[in-house]
Amino acid sequence: MEKLTRLTAEHRDNFAAYLDGELDDTLTRHIETVLSQSNVARNDVEMLAKTYELLDLLPRPKASGEFSEKTLAIARLKDSRTDFLQSPTYRRLQRAVRWTGWAAILFSASALSYSVARYRAPVEDDLLLDDLNVIRQYDAYKEAGGIEFLNRLGLENSLIENMNAESSRANQ
Amino acid sequence: MLRAKEGDDAAFSDLVLRYQDRLVGLLSNMIGSPDGAEDLAQDVFLRIYRARHGYEANAKFSTWLFSVAHNVACNSKRSKVRRREVQLTPAESGSMPLPQQQIVADKSGLMPTRLFQKKELQDRVQQAMGSLNERQRMAVLLHKFEGMSYADIGAALDMSPQAVKSLLSRARDNLRLALEGYVR
Repeated sequence: MEKLTRLTAEHRDNFAAYLDGELDDTLTRHIETVLSQSNVARNDVEMLAKTYELLDLLPRPKASGEFSEKTLAIARLKDSRTDFLQSPTYRRLQRAVRWTGWAAILFSASALSYSVARYRAPVEDDLLLDDLNVIRQYDAYKEAGGIEFLNRLGLENSLIENMNAESSRANQ
Repeated sequence: MLRAKEGDDAAFSDLVLRYQDRLVGLLSNMIGSPDGAEDLAQDVFLRIYRARHGYEANAKFSTWLFSVAHNVACNSKRSKVRRREVQLTPAESGSMPLPQQQIVADKSGLMPTRLFQKKELQDRVQQAMGSLNERQRMAVLLHKFEGMSYADIGAALDMSPQAVKSLLSRARDNLRLALEGYVR
């Protein structure tokens, strides 16, 4: 009979639960059948049970005499601190700190933006300096009849020739 | 616990008295140090006290307590690893005699064989327990010493009863392998 019963991993998984009374009726009956047919299974279960008994040797130290009083005293102390953390005063203080923080951030951001703008953006003086050459020649340009006329003069040679011819005729 | 929730400190004190020894015993076997265990047990009770107003009576108080204890023990181990603290557990200290036993041995010139054997076996059992992972160790301790069902252990460790069954099966198999030379 014993040779017919091969122990599977599932059987072995169930042995501990069988010892603990945690299997349902069907599985319990199945394991009992396996145990009645296999010396190996019986030996395995016996070893599991005896090993578990060895755990009784583990030390079980108890709490010291003043443990409960000490614990309760610390709990009350921490609780009173927690009470302050939940008090309206603490909440008001927390709100004030939060608003101050936001104001500081806003102020810093404004100051930074102002500095960057001042350093990077062109001011009126810079624009005037860029146009300094034009400003210096402003009277000459005005007398010539405008900047458009001077541009045409630069581009069209025939215009100068015509002007020279007109000037010669006028002199004669 | 419901009375403690309503602010009855005497009720909380009763809870501490009722569970302190069980918790210290459990945690000392979780971390392998009775001194540290008392500190951790205190931490567990302080957490319970802080969270008492939010307690819902839909689970056993002990399940909640051991769930908190498991978290505290795991966190303590993790922070110890982070700090790279090296602390020898009694199991790791091998079969070195305790000072009191040493005095007895010196006086009589003979270590009582039975005491030595028991101490050695106790060390081996502690070593075997130390070889389990944290969940396995906690599940074994809750089952063995607290007599908790798989369902209650599952609730404390946030696992299904089926997962607890596999966990305990593997744990007991590991213990069997580690201790088979000592089983008679």
